[in-house]
Amino acid sequence: VHSPVESSEGPVLTVYSLHPPKSCSSLSVLQHQRIHGIRPRRGDAKAPAQEKSVFGGKAVRLIRLHPLDPFQLETIRPIMELHDWILDVRWMSGDPHPFLCIALAHNSALLLDTETETTLFRQSCSEGCLLYSALVLAHKSWSDTVIVGGTVFNQLVIWKPGDVAESLESKSPVVRRLLGHSGVIFDISYSQNEGVLASASDDRSVRIWQIGNLGGNGGQCGNQNPVCLHVLYGHQARVFSVRLLNSKVFSAGEDGTCLMWDNGQVIQTLKGHRAGGVRALAISSESCEKAIWVASGGADGGVRLWKLGVKQDQVEDNEENLKDLKFPIVICTLDSEESTWSNCRFLVCTDKGGVYEYTNKKWELVWQGPPEFQSYCLMEVASVKIKESLVHVCAVGNICGSVQVFPVANPKGGICLVAGNGKIHSLIWQKGSADGGAWLLASGSDGLVYRWWVEVTKRELQVVEMTSFELPMCTKRWLTAAIRVHLIEDAAWVCGDRRGSLLLYQECQNATMLSGEEQTLLVKSTMENLANKVKIQELTPVSALFGVHGKQGVTSVFEHSGLFYSTGRDGCVRIFHSKMSESQEYILEVLRVQRACKGMEWLEKILILETKVGQEVKPLAAENKESTEINQLCLKNTDKQNVQEARFAIVGFHGSHFVVWDPVRQERLLSVLCGGGHRSWSLWTDEKGHWTENGALAFIKQGAVLTSERTLKEANGKIGWSLKEGIHGRGIGCVHRLGRIMSQRNACWEIVVTGGEDTSVTILALNPKNGEMKVLGVLTDHISSVRALTAVAKQDVGRTALSALVVSAGGRAQIQCYRLLIGCGEWGETSCQVIQVAAHRLDEQWERKRNRHKMVKMDPETRYMSMAVLEQTPDSLILALACSDGAVRLFSVSEVKHHIELLWESFHHQRCVLSVATCCLQDTQCNRHQLLFSAATDGQIAVWDFTSSSLSNQNPSTPIFTIPAHQSGINSLDIYPVCLIDFHHVTVASGGDDGQLTVSQIKIQIVDNSDPQNRLLINLVNQSCIPLAHAAPLTSLKLLNKNQIVSASCDQRVCLWRIGSAGIHHQRAVCSHVADAAALAVWEEEYDQKSGSSAEVVFGDGEESGNKNAGEVCTEKSDTEGAEEGYVLICGCGLQLIHVLV
Amino acid sequence: MGRSSKDKRDIYYRLAKEEGWRARSAFKLLQMDQEFNLFTGVNRAVDLCAAPGSWSQVLSRKLRGREEKGDAEVKIVAVDLQAMAPLPGVTQIQGDITKISTAEEIIRHFEGQPADLVVCDGAPDVTGLHDVDEYIQAQLLLAALNITTHVLKRGGTFVAKIFRGKDVTLLYSQLKIFFSGVTCAKPRSSRNSSIEAFVVCQNYQPPEGYIPNMSNPLLDHSYDVDFNQLEGPNRVIVPFLACGDLSAYDSDRTYPLQLDDSKEYQYTPPTQLPIQPPYQQACHLRRNNLLSKEDAPSASNNNPDSEKTTPGWTS
Ligand SMILES: C[S@@+](CC[C@H](N)C(=O)[O-])C[C@H]1O[C@@H](n2cnc3c(N)ncnc32)[C@H](O)[C@@H]1O
Repeated sequence: VHSPVESSEGPVLTVYSLHPPKSCSSLSVLQHQRIHGIRPRRGDAKAPAQEKSVFGGKAVRLIRLHPLDPFQLETIRPIMELHDWILDVRWMSGDPHPFLCIALAHNSALLLDTETETTLFRQSCSEGCLLYSALVLAHKSWSDTVIVGGTVFNQLVIWKPGDVAESLESKSPVVRRLLGHSGVIFDISYSQNEGVLASASDDRSVRIWQIGNLGGNGGQCGNQNPVCLHVLYGHQARVFSVRLLNSKVFSAGEDGTCLMWDNGQVIQTLKGHRAGGVRALAISSESCEKAIWVASGGADGGVRLWKLGVKQDQVEDNEENLKDLKFPIVICTLDSEESTWSNCRFLVCTDKGGVYEYTNKKWELVWQGPPEFQSYCLMEVASVKIKESLVHVCAVGNICGSVQVFPVANPKGGICLVAGNGKIHSLIWQKGSADGGAWLLASGSDGLVYRWWVEVTKRELQVVEMTSFELPMCTKRWLTAAIRVHLIEDAAWVCGDRRGSLLLYQECQNATMLSGEEQTLLVKSTMENLANKVKIQELTPVSALFGVHGKQGVTSVFEHSGLFYSTGRDGCVRIFHSKMSESQEYILEVLRVQRACKGMEWLEKILILETKVGQEVKPLAAENKESTEINQLCLKNTDKQNVQEARFAIVGFHGSHFVVWDPVRQERLLSVLCGGGHRSWSLWTDEKGHWTENGALAFIKQGAVLTSERTLKEANGKIGWSLKEGIHGRGIGCVHRLGRIMSQRNACWEIVVTGGEDTSVTILALNPKNGEMKVLGVLTDHISSVRALTAVAKQDVGRTALSALVVSAGGRAQIQCYRLLIGCGEWGETSCQVIQVAAHRLDEQWERKRNRHKMVKMDPETRYMSMAVLEQTPDSLILALACSDGAVRLFSVSEVKHHIELLWESFHHQRCVLSVATCCLQDTQCNRHQLLFSAATDGQIAVWDFTSSSLSNQNPSTPIFTIPAHQSGINSLDIYPVCLIDFHHVTVASGGDDGQLTVSQIKIQIVDNSDPQNRLLINLVNQSCIPLAHAAPLTSLKLLNKNQIVSASCDQRVCLWRIGSAGIHHQRAVCSHVADAAALAVWEEEYDQKSGSSAEVVFGDGEESGNKNAGEVCTEKSDTEGAEEGYVLICGCGLQLIHVLV
Repeated sequence: MGRSSKDKRDIYYRLAKEEGWRARSAFKLLQMDQEFNLFTGVNRAVDLCAAPGSWSQVLSRKLRGREEKGDAEVKIVAVDLQAMAPLPGVTQIQGDITKISTAEEIIRHFEGQPADLVVCDGAPDVTGLHDVDEYIQAQLLLAALNITTHVLKRGGTFVAKIFRGKDVTLLYSQLKIFFSGVTCAKPRSSRNSSIEAFVVCQNYQPPEGYIPNMSNPLLDHSYDVDFNQLEGPNRVIVPFLACGDLSAYDSDRTYPLQLDDSKEYQYTPPTQLPIQPPYQQACHLRRNNLLSKEDAPSASNNNPDSEKTTPGWTS
């Protein structure tokens, strides 16, 4: 049986198997305490199940792991609660009794008999102080026990709880002190074999101490004067954990990296967590496999697993020889069957028109061009598959329109092609859909792109000329990227040019849908055409997005499962597709723009990222079938093609580095100091078009061929898996539920969006039945913390797809708007397409204002704190935003015009506005009255009247009413209106920083009055409150119905309240492991799936609860009782889904 | 972002510099004083976890130089792990307040003449693990309380920072054993978004027969499971009071640099350089590109751009 990996989140423990890497089982172990450690009981290898102690906070509990397939977990005893915080727990060996030696935070230790649950010994160290970390070395008896403590004042103290000194009030003396750290110590590790102790610290270093023997028989305390062997500085932030394995040191920290050290040097860097850093680290000690397993747990809740191969001998330094060649100008790597970096082949073209290959550690001339290739030339190589073997075909172009094409293995068997009579600007190969040939495109000086089909046999070539493309008129008129694609039934080319345009060419009719033999037929027939000198007219683009990538041009186009990706030197990746226009023509449409990072403007291409989520291991064939089914379904339902965008990495230049950048995790996957943008480079990866954590770069710099460092270190054999995908990492500040989608087989997913301090918006699918969670997408357009989210969602009838307009807002006065199309396949697989609709920054709007000098400059540091939908028309939304500069602002969002605009603002509050909520009332004449509620740090709620008629011009300058509700800031507001015979009864619930819950009941009468400021008669009929509803700030609340409230707070309780005639009553409380709770989403359980969407009530939004009642006059009873069962999703430091019975 | 951007985002940071306080925390103590008259009749005070020293500055300005009494009767002892620049009339002790030897040193200063006021603004090195941070914060408070039981006169006042988190009610119940008046105070200069607050404990009345004991730490209470304190409604609670004028500046609001028309904004450098951070050496190495790396020149740090907010609590 292979050893599993265990991880924990809050009180829940999960086991993952390593073969294959996937999750097996989960168990809630510690109730209200977060798990900090898991310790196996060693020794009884024969026992069928392994016992482990799990501890966290002041609690410890025993569990059993059954090594079945799959692994199973079981708790075997109740939780044991101690009087002090537990820092480390170890099993005492030898004794048949299950004894635990425990180190506590006040530098004391105890011995616990787990069978009788009694403390046998308890002992304090004479150094009475707080510890941040501790290590217990347990052996056969209490007197053997040794404790290493990391104190508040940055020292390591070693003492023995078995030594009791009368002179020290019966406490134990400190035996050794290790001084050196300048920050507190977060983790300690000891290696018996090496006699080495390691400590990880707030000072960002790891120290390695030559300590000698610690613990063991008689409880040794190591050398008299332990020396510090190494001070390891390599982390960019605090180091949270350290582990030792033989001579290797592993450290992990806040910078999200895990470093492997040998002899004071970093030899391996492992990354893969989102913001917040790596918290937990485990190293497998299986030496038999010669591989090291590293598992890391992140603050993002993610669990990553790595297998590190033992490094092979270093490949001889061949860099010197590589540099031998004089004046190389173009470099290409040749694909090979077994794709390893060591047998990777290069082809280089020099400025003298020679093509060289690097073999046997020297450069050999393959082909020497005639004089016309000597002042200028271009080279591209294609690797064509012919019956299981690869043939490399090289094309070289020159300044006078000739292109020499030849097989690398037989340079003499080449053909010279003609592409106009001027400079060849670019050469592009495109592999055929079947073996045996490739297309070659050459962009000439006359704005024409000459095309050939090159048929390849082992040593020979046959070439067929195809119709040329004509590029749009512009300066720098040449092609820079092209791929051949299939659109429904037509073959087409998606291209990019130097002017920054994306172009779509449709293949001429007789060349469509051909593959294999058919192609050969075509070849023959066109040859006849050629012979007959039938000149076919050039093709022009059927669709063009002129200059979308800016004047620096497009650098690549790529296709992946139905979507296109282009990169340019404008720092952007564009995700686009082709669709049918109304006139039945194909048109290109950009769905989303992904920027790399600031300073990374020169992008070269994208690489697909393998996410390898352990849980979704499915046969590939089946998956393909399913995804086409999703497409079809969604085509029907939403008339937009619904395909999942791939996770991708961006390849480009950042300053003087060549970088592979992960835009979601915001990290560099590869970084090579190469001096900056190069004309010629070649990136080698394990798998073409994909990034698999292993890559190397060959490039030309200052007249020499260079390769990146990794060439010399050959074959690290590092493989990584993501056992659990992380989300956010830093605090989640807002959440919005979009709805539920279901597969035909009734698998169901709740779709929510979350926004966080890590500046991202994450789209999640949650399965409430089993707690499974999937990340559908991560949007990284915000430049500062995301604090508010709102959405308007639509569902199709079968509920297999959902379409939502989502708006996010946050720091630096930024708003982003997206259209999300989410679909569910037959087996419950989800797909998510993101379309960017519009974006807005307050300071940018100000810059555009014509008479801006007359106005106060808008503060670009303004934070948007909260957001609500005030009005919704078929093609636009009106949003209300609470702003930190003291304003309440209204914006309109138009999806059609891709535009967000500021409509109105008021500085009435003069203080930071913390929350907004809206509701809509309808009078007897069916006029709609939009009410806005805004609340600030002074505890006041302002009520504003925006009727639909007045929204455009005369807007209120003052609120129609104010309600004093709290002593200090109001963090959350929710509104529930009920329409009675001749007035409206509106319940306003507010939660404050003072921990108070306030319910204000207002009565609103709509009077016929031409004066817009006095249309509504409003008065406060009743106000009740619970002053200390929570022991900490009440940060989020929702009205479930007219008289029930759910509230959440930093005190980690989720409470249910009932509003009665005599006030508010506490109904229930649940403890949550989510600290710093900031936002809630609430929804009802659906009993009857047949009744469909009408049965569903979304609590998540003031707007929707307003709409529920708008239009009809309700009697009281119909909405007093909601559903009896529902879900609360609580977000803060992490998220938790709680099932509640009302 | 220029050096003035912090001035824009944090009005109290800017005011502190302009008024010569070493930290913005000074306003928190001043605003609590507005509400509770903390300094009336106070001559002898202890400032625990005092660095860089703005509370000590407040104490020094408020207790000294009053006409009725000479400064001779005034005694202010400031304690911190970190060294801090000297202040007139303030005795400094550098040490860990959770350590017995430090506590004993403080107690020696007040033998025979107990203190009238103990304040503690201690905050731990935030680990980012909320439960650990809250626990350590609570232990700092309990260490301060233990010292207080040795030095505070009957009827005296104790003010300490708390994190309003999961188990804050346990601390309340513990404080209520020693003080007849316990209030949770939130100065308006403390951000609405932070879980930081202060307990103002008035009228020190240790229980009958209570003997202060320094050799064992005060441990925090546990929930009484039988009474369902964990999830029930009747947890120990203390009144909440927002302190400071509503007309005072709003710490959550972003203000323009020019606060009023009459006065042109001018950048003021910090009064006191920040305390030496533990990672100084690491920063030095990083700046000089000396951190150990796998691929020596290439593996530089990721993400130079996204705006990172430091986790945890702002003071
Ligand atoms: C928020 S600062 C105090 C600011 C101070 N009140 C002022 O106004 O300048 C928190 C201080 O607590 C100190 N501290 C944390 N743990 C401590 C301990 N165990 N003993 C003494 N001081 C400690 C830190 O060194 C830090 O200077």
